[in-house]
Amino acid sequence: MKTNLSKLYKTEDWLAVWIGFAVIAIACIAVLTGAFDFAAAKFSTWHLWEDVAEKKSLLAQLNGAFWVKLLRTFLVLGVLFTLGVKLQGGKVKEYIPAFLCLFVLAVVVRLISAEFTLNRYLEWAFWALIVGLLISNTVGVPQWLRPAIRTEFYIKTGLVIMGFSVLFSNIAKFGLYGLGIAWIVTPIVIIFMWWFGTKVLKIGNKPLVITLAAATSVCGTSAAIATGAAAGAKKNDLGIAISISIIFTILMMVFEPMIIRATGMSQLMGGALIGGTVDSTGAVVLAGNALGPEAEQAAVLVKSIQNILIGFIAFFVALFFATRVDKTEGKKVGAGEIWNRFPKFIIGFFVASLVASFLVQPLAGTDSVKAINGVLDQYKNWCFVLAFTSIGLDTNFREIAKQMQGGKVLWLYVVGQLFNIALTFFAVWLLLSGVLFEIPVLDLYK
Amino acid sequence: MDKRRRNTLFKVVTALAVVAILGCAVYIMVNRLGLSPDYDFGAGAYYYADIPGFDKVVRDDVYHTKVPVWIHIVLFLAWGWLMYRLWVWIDNR
Repeated sequence: MKTNLSKLYKTEDWLAVWIGFAVIAIACIAVLTGAFDFAAAKFSTWHLWEDVAEKKSLLAQLNGAFWVKLLRTFLVLGVLFTLGVKLQGGKVKEYIPAFLCLFVLAVVVRLISAEFTLNRYLEWAFWALIVGLLISNTVGVPQWLRPAIRTEFYIKTGLVIMGFSVLFSNIAKFGLYGLGIAWIVTPIVIIFMWWFGTKVLKIGNKPLVITLAAATSVCGTSAAIATGAAAGAKKNDLGIAISISIIFTILMMVFEPMIIRATGMSQLMGGALIGGTVDSTGAVVLAGNALGPEAEQAAVLVKSIQNILIGFIAFFVALFFATRVDKTEGKKVGAGEIWNRFPKFIIGFFVASLVASFLVQPLAGTDSVKAINGVLDQYKNWCFVLAFTSIGLDTNFREIAKQMQGGKVLWLYVVGQLFNIALTFFAVWLLLSGVLFEIPVLDLYK
Repeated sequence: MDKRRRNTLFKVVTALAVVAILGCAVYIMVNRLGLSPDYDFGAGAYYYADIPGFDKVVRDDVYHTKVPVWIHIVLFLAWGWLMYRLWVWIDNR
């Protein structure tokens, strides 16, 4: 019993939960009481050589307030992660200088990814991988930096913080139409990609297959991070899945509205199709916007429901891997063993989501929850940037080439995404074309 | 076609696809296609909370359903469980 209880404060999963809860609690107190500022640092979009009047130049935003926020971010994350590392038996003296260096690299990543053009197409996850890879494949990673490379710890903490932004009230935003499009299609696509990846393409790396399937069918990066962590995916698996998703999102953001317009599909149907198939939320808004205001709203409504799915998909994936993939052949896995294997940070994710949806939102109001999430989102992003920079630092190009399995991974994504588009189109046609059900009306002029 | 030739062909087609996909993505970025002057974000804002002023982008009042939220939640959980069982069944085969 003693051993079991000590897991609560000695294992990475539980410590990620407590650190996530601590950040959420402080953000709630700061926003709801207004007693102090807890905002983390963020670079506004900047430019060096272009005349983009409304954007701040880089130097203009490096004012006193920015440095205070940056120092706060460093201290909050530095103290919490150092404590976590100490409780896991790590050496604090080695961790602190290493974390300082990793944090500086994370600042560089966020600086690059806030540049006007780079910011519009490629996520910071991409730049974090690139910066890490450049260092590890050129000058190499010094030994003293290695104690800070704790990818899973940062990811799990970021996911618990992210849980607070997953609001159950979004589930009914587009009624049964939205639920039908977002939720009926998503698990079918995941199962199809699992079957296609493991049985047809015979990809042996099952965590990679499921991570890519979640990225394709749910919502790109965030789903990949949650599912990858739930399946125990290797650092390279996550990097590959996210890179593929990011590149294809750029293409889909531009081409999908063009094709929809050429087919003469209604804005409502086109928007819902975009919301169900384009991976990143930012790309969904822009692709919907290209079709018109009704398409934009329909796209965002469907995507909002997909965002709720992240935790559930991660839960079922964790259950599946604990009971089926990681088990010994011919041995039945008992409830105790399932509990031991189950990634506990998913519990933290759900608790954060339930507290936000059924406690804070009804008591403090939707606006307060939005304000709290405005603060938490940056802490989540810093955790993920630390994680992805760590992945880059711990990876070499040869390993990535090996992980691609001669191109099978790319084709898994392509076939899976085409299946996703076809099935989502079928659901959209069935629900929104008027053949079976009344066409819903979005009141844009309230 | 023997296995070796098929593998080579697969690799060549994959390499060509990678070049085409990356070339297309670079072309889009260089020419800034797909962006909107109304918004200070792009595809790089992967999660809704990353979008500046997201509450102004998505409107909570554009659609109202008469179906209670709990029915949505029950259907959501039921479909999720059913699909999980389907996944296990397919994996067993």
